[in-house]
Parts: sequence; structure tokens; C-alpha cells
Amino acid sequence: MAPTFVLTEDEALELLAFLVTAARTQLDEAAEYGPLRLLTAAGRLMGFAAARCSPETRALLDGPLSRLPDAALRSVDPARYTAELDEVCRALARHLVTHFGADRAAAR
Amino acid sequence: MNPVLDAIRTRRIVRALTDRRVARDEVEEVLKAARWAPSAGNRRLHHFVAVQDAATIAVLRMVSPGMFQRPTALVVICVDQARATAFGMRPTAKGLYVDVGTAAQTMLLAAHSLGLGAGIVTSFSQAAVREVLNLPDGLSPEMFICLGYPAPVQPPAMRARTPVTWQSLTTWERYSEPSSPA
Repeated sequence: MAPTFVLTEDEALELLAFLVTAARTQLDEAAEYGPLRLLTAAGRLMGFAAARCSPETRALLDGPLSRLPDAALRSVDPARYTAELDEVCRALARHLVTHFGADRAAAR
Repeated sequence: MNPVLDAIRTRRIVRALTDRRVARDEVEEVLKAARWAPSAGNRRLHHFVAVQDAATIAVLRMVSPGMFQRPTALVVICVDQARATAFGMRPTAKGLYVDVGTAAQTMLLAAHSLGLGAGIVTSFSQAAVREVLNLPDGLSPEMFICLGYPAPVQPPAMRARTPVTWQSLTTWERYSEPSSPA
């Protein structure tokens, strides 16, 4: 199957700039901003990719991932924050299993 | 209602902005207000860079991980380290950064009074911002005031970790631990 390109060069540059500059700002900022920045980057990637990805991946983006708050911080409610991230990780893993055919490997 | 107190109480950080551009004269009003912000020793060791160009704002946003909003104008508050040094101040002198705060709050209130939405951003790469804005070595970018028109729906406000009242933030006379409720 031909690869699907979900980012333009402009979008990739924007994401690259975000990630590199976040690495720098994180040297001076509160540790809890680390996951916040990663999730913001994930949100921007989702925003770019949504129009071009497969319907199945789009469903993932529109599901639990879309419910992650933009500016949530762990210290506000640590248990809830962890639980919400775990839920997103589980949904992501389920999609990866299907997308990459790991479920078919189990049936072989 | 006292209009000043009302403005202080109703101002919020606005993160969702519309595409409507902020007019030049509105940015100028915000800058004029900042001119009246308190400044240690009235030294005015700050410089404001006002940006309205959409491409420049887009690039600044790319190097500012803390910029959630999409402003149509912004003001970069810089510390004039070269002039501060000439006054015998160290680069870390607290007055320089306190005055960033007084200028920022004054601009936020001015923007609020004009019906604009405003927010502050400090999470950005200073090195990258210097490049983007062609700032000389003596000017240190410290804070953005993002400006725009508020969108009808705003993201939920960040919840306080513990309930905050003016009393919980205050002790009278000599310090004592806050008393716990009976």
C-alpha cells in the first residue's frame, strides 16, 4: 500500500519548531509542563493530519484524543490526569493493533 | 460599581480568539496605557515590539510552545539590558522583571477595556524570538501580550489547585499560618 503523507512541509516545520523550542523552554519551566507540551504537540499533529488520514485513524483522533484538554496540568487533579492519559493510551494502542495488523498476527 | 475595580475583576486570560484583526489604533491604545505603568525609579528600561504582520505572528507562534491562542496582534515586552547595565543593574535584578509584570497587567486591563481579548505568554525560545524580530543583543524578549477579539466560546478556565480568596492570600501585620476552619 502506498504511504499516505499526512503533513505538508509547512505543517512539519511548525511541528518541528514547536518540539525543538519546547525542549529549550522546558529547561527553565515547571516539570509538569513536559507532558503538557507533548500533548500540545500531539494536538497540533492531530489537527494537521485529520484531513488526510484514513477514516479509522480519523475516528481515533475524533475520539478520546480529542477530549484531552488543551491546557490541563497534572497538579490540578493528579489522579484524573493520569486516568485520562491512560485511557487515551489504551485507545491509541487498540488502534495501533488494528492499523499495523497485530491482531491478524495473533490469528495466524 | 467602581469601573476600575470592575475591570480588574472581570478581566480574564482569553485563549480563544476570532480571525478579526485588531486595528492599529487599538494596539496603539494598549501601548499608550503601558507607558503609564509603574516603573522602578521611572527608569523605563523596557522596549515594546508591536507585531501585526500575520506571517511574523505565525512564526512567533511556532517558536512559542506556550502560545495556545492565535492572536492577530501582539506586543513583545523586552528588557533593555544594555540600558539596565548602564544604570549599574545586574541582568537578574528583580526590578527589571517586576516592571515587565506591571507593564503586562496594564496592557491586559487596557485591552479588556477596549473589548479585546488578551493573554500573556512567557514560554518561548528567547533565542528564536530574537532572530525572528531582529532584536539587538541588548534587548531581551521576556513576555508576549497576545491580542485579538474573544471568540464566543472559551476553553474552560484552569482550575485553582486550592480555593483562593483574598484572605487566603493575605496575612495582617506579622506573618502567621492560616487558621484551619473549625
